Amino acid sequence: MNIQLAKLVKSDNNLTQADLVNVTLTDGTTLSIPLEESNRHYQEYLEWLSEGNTPEEAE
Amino acid sequence: MASIKLRGDTSGEITIQAPAVAGTTTLNLPATSSTLATTAQTEAIYNSLGVRNLIINGDMRIAQRGTSSSGITGSGIYLIDRFNISGNGYGTFTMSQDTDVPSGQGFSNSLKLDCTTANASLSASNHMVIVQRIEGQNLQHLKFGTSSAEKLTVSFWVKSNKTGTYTNEFYATDGPRHINKEFTINSADTWEKKIIIVDGDTSGVINNDNGSGLEWLIWLAAGTDFTSGTLHTSWDTANNTDRASSSNVNLADSTSNYINITGVQLEVGDTATPFEHRPWDMELVRCQRYFQRLPENVEYLTSFYFDNTSRYCTTVYFPVIMRTSSQTIAYGTAEYRNGSTYTNGTYLNNQRRNNLITIRITCPSAPDSSGYALGLRLIGTWTLDAEL
Repeated sequence: MNIQLAKLVKSDNNLTQADLVNVTLTDGTTLSIPLEESNRHYQEYLEWLSEGNTPEEAE
Repeated sequence: MASIKLRGDTSGEITIQAPAVAGTTTLNLPATSSTLATTAQTEAIYNSLGVRNLIINGDMRIAQRGTSSSGITGSGIYLIDRFNISGNGYGTFTMSQDTDVPSGQGFSNSLKLDCTTANASLSASNHMVIVQRIEGQNLQHLKFGTSSAEKLTVSFWVKSNKTGTYTNEFYATDGPRHINKEFTINSADTWEKKIIIVDGDTSGVINNDNGSGLEWLIWLAAGTDFTSGTLHTSWDTANNTDRASSSNVNLADSTSNYINITGVQLEVGDTATPFEHRPWDMELVRCQRYFQRLPENVEYLTSFYFDNTSRYCTTVYFPVIMRTSSQTIAYGTAEYRNGSTYTNGTYLNNQRRNNLITIRITCPSAPDSSGYALGLRLIGTWTLDAEL
């Protein structure tokens, strides 16, 4: 999964923190990934963060 | 070849024939009155025992993501449902749902991997596997972690130009523990059936949950990080260095290389029974627990609300409850009905359960008052991924 950019998202306005991340891959695919350890795409997102990348913050 | 003939009272005869082999073999007959089953009768019994194949989509018929994908280079890649290609540095492959199948077996499709960019010199960490992960809660009858742990038998058909040694691995994720056995593709470009039988694991427990309990893998390429130890041919704590045979082929070493696989069946016991041909719809439903496509270009009933900007919201119920509510959503675009026309909105967020998703989009304007019910159309590819 080659992440080009990522943006944190709240699934509900009442949440104080983001619980999703919307990512755009280099091939143009757009994914909404829950910030949950058990999700395999979230694990790849964490790898992307560990490489020094940062997401846009949630609005 | 020696034989005994029993003549019938009126006509006909039965021949009992010894095999043309050296040594003495004993055939014990039951001590009660009974009738011996023929091979055909036995196979009929096996075929009536469902659902015994622990592998989903073993005949490669279900391919919700498409039938061909090129440029494959990394990990976590799916095309044919439930079968995952993982690794790194294995060159580039095209994966497809092929119609090349072993004759006379009733299969329609196979999974094909075709090397398009070679890597003949694997680095230590380079590797390539095909894997299917099975939920732990579907494996409790294996009784792993007890003295009654059941044997496992995997059978599959395989064809490749690349003859030689491959490694079959069972990897119990919760240990992790594993058991690995070599198998050989003997003849190039020829369908061969492989049968691998392993003991049950009396030490490692498979957790009773919806996570990965057991992985079935075939190693197609393996750098020394995976081959430098000793192949664990009995269950043991998993070490990367012990996972693949040091003789394992490198399927990535030439762009002439390909491999086809179908008829994958994993069953309890030490006998490979005939492949269990399940109905197509049954197999699709089983696959949809892990991956589904939302119907596209169809109008969903939608609600509208306004908080700083116009938002539309629609709920889609799934035909099959998914493995987890923690799915990844691949989203395309969405259009909302504004009077008699459709206008593009922008995907905002979603809320998910394992049986539904609520999708919200933002829109440039509120609906007009032309009397049409609010509707939302999903355009492009919208999928839900709860794969292991």
